[in-house]
Amino acid sequence: MTPSVCLVVEGVTDLAILQRLLGELRVTVGPTHVTDGTAKLDRQLAGYNSASKYGPWLVVRDLDQDAACAPELLRGLLPEPAMHIRLRVAVRAVESWLLADGTAISRFLGVAKSRVPADPDVLVDPKGTIVSLARLSRRSEVKQMAPSPRSGRRVGPAYTDQIIHFAATGWRPVEAAKHSPSLSSTIRAIREWVVDGTPVCAEPE
Amino acid sequence: MRFFALTLENWRNFRTVKVPLQDRMFLVGPNAAGKSNLLDSMRFLRDLADPQGGFQRAVQQRGGVSQIRSLHARQYSDVIVSAVIDDAEGQRWTYMVAFSQDNNRRPVVRAEKVYRGDRQVLERPDGKDREDPNRLSQTALEQVNSNKDFRAVAEMLAQVRYLHLVPQLVREPERSVGRSRDPYGGDFLEQLARLQKERKKTFDSRMRRIRDALRVAVPQLKDLKLERDTRGVPHLRGLYEHWRPRAGWQTEDQFSDGTLRLMGLLWALLDGSAPLLLEEPELSLHAGVVRYLPAMMARLGRKVGRQVIVSSHSAELLSDQAIGAEEVLLLIPSREGTEVEVAADNSEVVALLEGGLPMAEAVLPRTAPKNSAQLSLFSE
Repeated sequence: MTPSVCLVVEGVTDLAILQRLLGELRVTVGPTHVTDGTAKLDRQLAGYNSASKYGPWLVVRDLDQDAACAPELLRGLLPEPAMHIRLRVAVRAVESWLLADGTAISRFLGVAKSRVPADPDVLVDPKGTIVSLARLSRRSEVKQMAPSPRSGRRVGPAYTDQIIHFAATGWRPVEAAKHSPSLSSTIRAIREWVVDGTPVCAEPE
Repeated sequence: MRFFALTLENWRNFRTVKVPLQDRMFLVGPNAAGKSNLLDSMRFLRDLADPQGGFQRAVQQRGGVSQIRSLHARQYSDVIVSAVIDDAEGQRWTYMVAFSQDNNRRPVVRAEKVYRGDRQVLERPDGKDREDPNRLSQTALEQVNSNKDFRAVAEMLAQVRYLHLVPQLVREPERSVGRSRDPYGGDFLEQLARLQKERKKTFDSRMRRIRDALRVAVPQLKDLKLERDTRGVPHLRGLYEHWRPRAGWQTEDQFSDGTLRLMGLLWALLDGSAPLLLEEPELSLHAGVVRYLPAMMARLGRKVGRQVIVSSHSAELLSDQAIGAEEVLLLIPSREGTEVEVAADNSEVVALLEGGLPMAEAVLPRTAPKNSAQLSLFSE
């Protein structure tokens, strides 16, 4: 049995968030797969499911607008999960987990805490919310997290490194879980799954 | 200092191109489209301004005017390189040089102009040039007694750095004896040793940062130091953890290509604040490392105000969602020379990005050779 968890995420910022979260929960992360979006992740899900016969896998995907709620998306994507795979869906995106630590993110972005939505899981587009908050900031390194009008992108050049930095150093997952049911249920699921940093999995038959 | 825009005429693959440049810029295009040649035009300006360089040498090093002049150029036309530069105080400068060769194939300056903002501070040829045409064998940029009004431009351009580290040259420095500031790494260890001798504190802090970053990519590397051997030749020594209880120190000739290239890249990023030109930084590196290079460049660029211009074929490098379409230049060869387009000006690319495609998938198919499937039949 593999002693560490194989991790699948959509991008490098999500990876930083999950690494912080799993570090906090004392879960050892093994090989990580970065799929650059949901399309490839969904397509490869059967493979991850099949590989999880040999060790624990954690797959984290944004709900986005792909279903009304997380359970519905889960049923559609992976109707028959194997025993050692956990597919977690962030409502509506992993960025809402960052917004859920309102104190830390407002300090990081340099905006008033009252500007940060108190209930981030109801946001349609949490990443867009972070970018809008960044536009309000007076700090240029934060302002550059917002894209220029011609870029075609949803985020600006400073977004990736700033989010990685915040996820690794400022964000407090356990505090955030108090304001995000989606994060809180993910933490609960991982805790039930792991003991002493090693996932509890019966040997495959 | 940063390059704000670049105009080239008859420079190698390019007939006429004008490109705006952001703080971070990615050049993508098929093989032999001219990515390196575009970078080389900025190196050329650096070579003009270099105290040990100058116009004659810069042209000769590139094989003469006939090698530089585009095959697409009309006969006898001049080669023109022009750059708009912002200095550290935000003052805008424009430097332009036009050149060709005389009947004896000697390089000759045909025109040279400098503007400070909108005000012209140099116009050549001038009366003295007409009196003494030999003066046109040099640019004003390279002459201390002629560049007084725009010395800042010369000093800025001389600081531009180019890196395309070849690990084999680092391991066998005798291949490039006598070269200084060799972009291929021939005197890389000498450069490190010089800094260690002259500014020990800066050197130590850089080595510490590089060691910590390298350990992320090469976890078995526990320590890194630079030492001179009994002949005075500097060597890198890395302490590697392995199955033996006492881990072993290894020298650079045992380092992997990836370790040396990443180290060279990290060093170049920390060394100076003038524009850095990087040739395919992804070479020999794991995709899991390459993914983070754009974020690393963005962060460094903000911290020290450094512009980084990168050529690349790497999908991983371009997978960063924060790379904007205005930061990508597409180099597309055509019958009339390579054309350069800012990805933000290509409506299809922007539509693909807005539709959620990664930059790599939006731009790399545009730069792939059309009949590459035939390569699979190579042995037929």
